[in-house]
Amino acid sequence: MWNSATQFRWRLAVGPLVFVAALFLYPLARLLVLAFDDGGGFAEVLSNPRIRSSLWFTLWQATASTILTVMAALPLTWVISRFRFRGRDLVRALVTVPFVLPTVVVGVAFAASGMSGSVGGILAAHVFYNLAVVVRTVGGVWSRLDPALDQAARTLGASPIRAFRTTTLPLLAPAVAAASAIVFLFSFTSFGVVLIVGGLRHRTLEVEIYQQAITFLDLPAAGALAVLQLIGVVAVMTVYSRYQERRAVRFRMVAETDALIPVRTGRERVLVTTIVVATLAALLAPLWALVRRSFEGGLGGWRFLGDPGRIAIDPMAAMSSSLRIAAATTVIAVVVGGMASVVIAAGSDRLSRGFDVLIMLPLGTSAVTIGLGFLVSLGSLRTSFWMIPLAHALVAIPFVVRASTPTLRSIRSELREAAAVLGAPPSRVWREIDLPIVARAMAVGAGFAAAVSLGEFGATSFIARPETLTLPTMIFRLLGRPGAVTYSAAMASAVILMVTTAALILAVDRLRSNEVGSF
Amino acid sequence: MGLAVHGLVKRFGAKTALAGVDLEVNDGEVLAVLGPSGCGKSTMLRVIAGLESPDAGTVQWGGVDITSLPTHERGFGLMFQGYALFPHRTVGENVGFGLKMQGVERHEVEVRVADALSWVGLDGFARRHIEGLSGGEQQRVALARTLAPEPRLVMLDEPLGALDRRLRDRLVDEVAELLRARNATALYVTHDHDEADTVSDRVALMRSGVIAQVGTLAELRSAPADDWVADFVR
Repeated sequence: MWNSATQFRWRLAVGPLVFVAALFLYPLARLLVLAFDDGGGFAEVLSNPRIRSSLWFTLWQATASTILTVMAALPLTWVISRFRFRGRDLVRALVTVPFVLPTVVVGVAFAASGMSGSVGGILAAHVFYNLAVVVRTVGGVWSRLDPALDQAARTLGASPIRAFRTTTLPLLAPAVAAASAIVFLFSFTSFGVVLIVGGLRHRTLEVEIYQQAITFLDLPAAGALAVLQLIGVVAVMTVYSRYQERRAVRFRMVAETDALIPVRTGRERVLVTTIVVATLAALLAPLWALVRRSFEGGLGGWRFLGDPGRIAIDPMAAMSSSLRIAAATTVIAVVVGGMASVVIAAGSDRLSRGFDVLIMLPLGTSAVTIGLGFLVSLGSLRTSFWMIPLAHALVAIPFVVRASTPTLRSIRSELREAAAVLGAPPSRVWREIDLPIVARAMAVGAGFAAAVSLGEFGATSFIARPETLTLPTMIFRLLGRPGAVTYSAAMASAVILMVTTAALILAVDRLRSNEVGSF
Repeated sequence: MGLAVHGLVKRFGAKTALAGVDLEVNDGEVLAVLGPSGCGKSTMLRVIAGLESPDAGTVQWGGVDITSLPTHERGFGLMFQGYALFPHRTVGENVGFGLKMQGVERHEVEVRVADALSWVGLDGFARRHIEGLSGGEQQRVALARTLAPEPRLVMLDEPLGALDRRLRDRLVDEVAELLRARNATALYVTHDHDEADTVSDRVALMRSGVIAQVGTLAELRSAPADDWVADFVR
């Protein structure tokens, strides 16, 4: 049945659809053509031992990274979800910082920690980077789980551990699965970290694609690899969404303040302190190493940023173009992502699910694929300023959607119906009910979009031209040059990038923690 | 001529919620719809409000077919069972919402909101937040929000259902008085005989998706159409 609300939804769907079709599906189609054009492209690629070792490495390191991340995150997630203690909000915010740090910064930080070229460094960097995904995804549910459920199990005779296993864990399982799926996909398509820490000895598919395209100029091979990677991503997402559908138990969430208990016994205090301090120390160590290295040999690296001398890299210009690109990206991502989340949240039908996958695709597909797609399909358009923000928006939109869809979903359909009965046409219902409730979530999404853009490296490394270098691409260039001063300058730029994104994210987090939890 | 509903059918998958409902509400009449839970009362209101489209049958107002008119153009009021108050808006903004949608000027909205709030005994509540209200206060805000735009048909879905007995007994007279004073044309859904009797001019008995009988409660008692009706109104 087509009522006017459904029509409105379909009309709204057109914008994001055109956006994704033009900037993602079309380039992807060109990639496919390229990959199959050659005839034996796939067979050739798969029989190449170098590529086979990259494939194998991609799979096993993603699996290992996921398991390690979940294990490393669970203690802190428990502490944050169950206890009220001073500085809890700060801890939660600090844990989020690594996740939003540009991959280039993470890579440079682990390189500065003396882990260059080692598999351990790559895994550690992935845990470092993804910890927040688990803490926030699982903690978001756990901290708002009605403690009465656990208590009910206890009064029915379950021991604390049994109550956890039979009541809490099953309710958390979907969140753990969601977090694992995200961590796996991020590690599977990891680029910047592996490129910088792996030093070309350990290559993920992403790095392999980059090298095939940029170093060996073998676009068909790069295209074939991108297609292979896409198949893997789609497989993971399909399995994951099937699982979520099957597991979707709706349950009442309580306000966080009602679920948390104060730290009471001495044993609890020791446990909480140990877990918090250990986790934070592990997260801060590489960042500290980065700052220290930027000052190695005095202020030379920092001075270089203002006065690079006779080198074809202009740090100031890179910073200003990074800022302009971030502003443009934010506007595009909020508009398109906002439209998409309305379409997704308004139902649980095919349109909603299909759209969800479609919007997530660019993020899962990986930045490198997006960059390669732009490279092979957009011809002379590629030189336009707008290409970089558009590419960044493809990656940023999922963040906007993820930030606003749950809030939109939480609006009871009754509220919209009440507004309609009171005379509000569908577009007005959206403006009066959905928009105000979701505005704060949108602001959060906008903050993430800006952070994504400032740190984006994979796609940009394919499309940025020397005169439009962004901060991350400039850092990579600096790393590739000989000399202690340029190395320190790379570190210093990474510090600037780190501080900027961290400040942005902490501001966003303040918005989030003020959120009203009652609807 | 007020509301006329003919042969209304609504199915949800294999379940038939409405199996051919015929019903008329005269201008200025309060008709109570009485029936056990799950008999399709709420679905009927939702179809009349345009929130659900019927699989068969028509909804008419003043002799005009409005079956496919969008909800927001019907000019009806519906008070939801769970109230559906907008949590992000104040009491005054909730009550004034319908007036705002009609394009009523801001100053007049304020005046009429104050009026509506005084009808329900909530003078001075306009700036309060929804969150801090008690159940009884929320009920009154919902009622004021429904009545403020002066809808041509008022529909109330178990308006007192969520309140405890004592509060209900007190409020039912107030609601009855309010509807009469405004000369409202109203459909009042309830599963409580006393409530139906107090509030309405006539009662429509509903059973598994059809209207079993319409009349005053006294008429239904003295001349029940069948055993089920006799049993239910006893």
